[in-house]
Amino acid sequence: MLNSTIKKIKSYKKGFSINKKHKMIGWFFVIPGALLIFSFYFYPIIRAFILSLQGGVGSNLRFAGLANYKRLLQDGLFKQSMFNVFIYLILQVPIMLSLALILAGILNDKTLKFRSFFRTAIFVPCATSLVSYAIIFRSMFALDGFVNTLLMNLNILGEPINWLGGAWTARLLIVIGLTWRWTGYNMIFYLAGLQNIDPAIYEAAKIDGASAWDRMTKITIPILKPIILLTTIMSTNGTLQIFDETQNLTSGGPANATLSVSQYIYRLSFEYVPRFGYAAAIAFVVFIIVAVLSFMQLKVGDER
Amino acid sequence: MKKNLTLMFLMLVMLVGFSTMSFAQEDATITVWCWDPNFNIYAMEEAADIYKDTNPDVTIDVQEVAWEDIQTRLSTSLSANQTEDLPDIVLMQDNALIKNVSSFPNAFYDLSDSNIDFDKFADFKVELTTVDGRNYGVPFDNGAAINAMRVDVLEEAGYTIEDFTDITWEEFIEKGSDVREKTGKPLLSALAGESDLLMVMLQSTGNWLFDDSGEPYITENEALKEVIRVYQELLEKKILVQVNDWDQYISSFQSGTVAGTMNGAWIIGSIVPVEEQAGDWRITNIPRFGSIEGATNYSSQGGSSWMVMASSENPEVAADFLNQTFAGSKKLYETILPSSGALATYLPAGDSEVYNEPHPYFGGQKIYSDITDFASEVPRVKYGIYNYEARDAVSTAITQIMQGQDMMDSLEEAQSTVEFQMW
Repeated sequence: MLNSTIKKIKSYKKGFSINKKHKMIGWFFVIPGALLIFSFYFYPIIRAFILSLQGGVGSNLRFAGLANYKRLLQDGLFKQSMFNVFIYLILQVPIMLSLALILAGILNDKTLKFRSFFRTAIFVPCATSLVSYAIIFRSMFALDGFVNTLLMNLNILGEPINWLGGAWTARLLIVIGLTWRWTGYNMIFYLAGLQNIDPAIYEAAKIDGASAWDRMTKITIPILKPIILLTTIMSTNGTLQIFDETQNLTSGGPANATLSVSQYIYRLSFEYVPRFGYAAAIAFVVFIIVAVLSFMQLKVGDER
Repeated sequence: MKKNLTLMFLMLVMLVGFSTMSFAQEDATITVWCWDPNFNIYAMEEAADIYKDTNPDVTIDVQEVAWEDIQTRLSTSLSANQTEDLPDIVLMQDNALIKNVSSFPNAFYDLSDSNIDFDKFADFKVELTTVDGRNYGVPFDNGAAINAMRVDVLEEAGYTIEDFTDITWEEFIEKGSDVREKTGKPLLSALAGESDLLMVMLQSTGNWLFDDSGEPYITENEALKEVIRVYQELLEKKILVQVNDWDQYISSFQSGTVAGTMNGAWIIGSIVPVEEQAGDWRITNIPRFGSIEGATNYSSQGGSSWMVMASSENPEVAADFLNQTFAGSKKLYETILPSSGALATYLPAGDSEVYNEPHPYFGGQKIYSDITDFASEVPRVKYGIYNYEARDAVSTAITQIMQGQDMMDSLEEAQSTVEFQMW
């Protein structure tokens, strides 16, 4: 089997120039991966789009054109969930990424003691399960939980805060949880990037009298730009599709103040009277938003 | 040589495959999905044992699947028309039954003509498992609402359980705030942002979130407004405390911070494990709304029923199995009751000796026959197809009302949300 294919390739090669032969071999290696990506990524996306054009409940689906997309515009819960998700995005992504950058800068310092311990400690949250950390956060931020007890014993608070009960405290809780969980993950990317920067550049800058702030803004950030771009796109994508945290920490409450779009899609498909077409339409809108945001970030961030 | 070996191996695998296939066709295997090993799974396995005596060629394969998973797997398989992986029998939450039957017509086996005598089950349960006059489920566990109370705490304040039996909410609030003052203990706890307790209260009035024609019935629903008003008063007077999750709810009465709870009869399973409180608990019926006509002291919460899938290879066998066990075997209910407290809605079982046994944990009260009596009084309501949507919308409205928003505004918002969802 293998021998015969190699023979085939060899026979193909005979008629072409060296350049073309190389390209052919390249394509040959790419094809299996490309096929897999097509069948497991692009094909479902196309099917989801077709599904999103179908209306009706349960298994009684029929073609409905753009009716689902029109329906979206009037859906209060969809708007509420979109609003919530953008709040997370606007608050959480900048906080998390700047925190990750600062931590990476500190941990890149070769004179720092217990460097690998701190690196591991900050990365460990990423290894915990999304569900278990959400549950632990929920008990920590309960009315009689650890956080309230601590703040009251330190005399910072007079009355316990009902974190899960208020709309904005619940959103803040989600942001805190997300930051705790994902900062270390992004930090690793920055650390890897920092290690590729030649220390000689910093030495030269120091000799020229550049302050730490200058070194950060004029050397580190410009060189790390592609990596910052990557992490921004990944975080944006992840935040827009957030599900586990809101489901387990707040289950969308209070009064839908933390409901995320993915959670709404889940409810539409499995809790409410199933409307798969409509749920697919929402999923598709999220897909388009992610694509547009990523494109914008690429335009802004990539100067080549 | 190697090739030959592989070929032989493949042939062997195929042979084994074929032989097991023909074997499976000879005697029927009925697969069951249900949750909770101490309750539903246990009951199902006992039923399988009973059925085996008369039908040794039928194997019952009970698989533990959580309710959320049953729902997601049913929805995905049925909407994709891939029914091979589905079991023959599923346990269905009563509040999702109508939704599933109407979303997936022809997916569930119609049990109306299967010799099962539905008159032997509590009225309200049969109502919940009937869609367009056809029976789709064999009623199982009893969700009749109970008011479980700590009599030692009541005694401290000078009350007995009789003072809380057959009363109205006004009396409950009056006595409850007295207990609260004298002992410092609230009588109820409930989950914030969930509407379980409110729905228990609403069903006791014989009303629901939908009217007879299936339209959302929220802004005009005077009973619902009265329920919300009472709920708010309970909160204000600190007779009711709100907690954030289920574990906190359970521990609120297990730890003794709260001196009672109101829920479906299945909550007993969470009361009895606390040995220090043995003998301190009693159950009674829930308060009624004096101002609402037709309101009763009875309601229900939770509960589930057995359904047969139409995609089953042997739906008749599955139906016959249910008929001979859950719908026809007093012995089954006598077996499962003492060890799991699995209370049924099968009325003939109520006459059984076991149901009249006094329960030591409840100070010798005959709780099982009491609950069976409660069950026969529960008002019939139709939960409707859009039950989950309506409950979520009303829960949201209630959270908003508790945060200080105007009641009518919130209810109007809930009404229009549900109308939108149904559109």
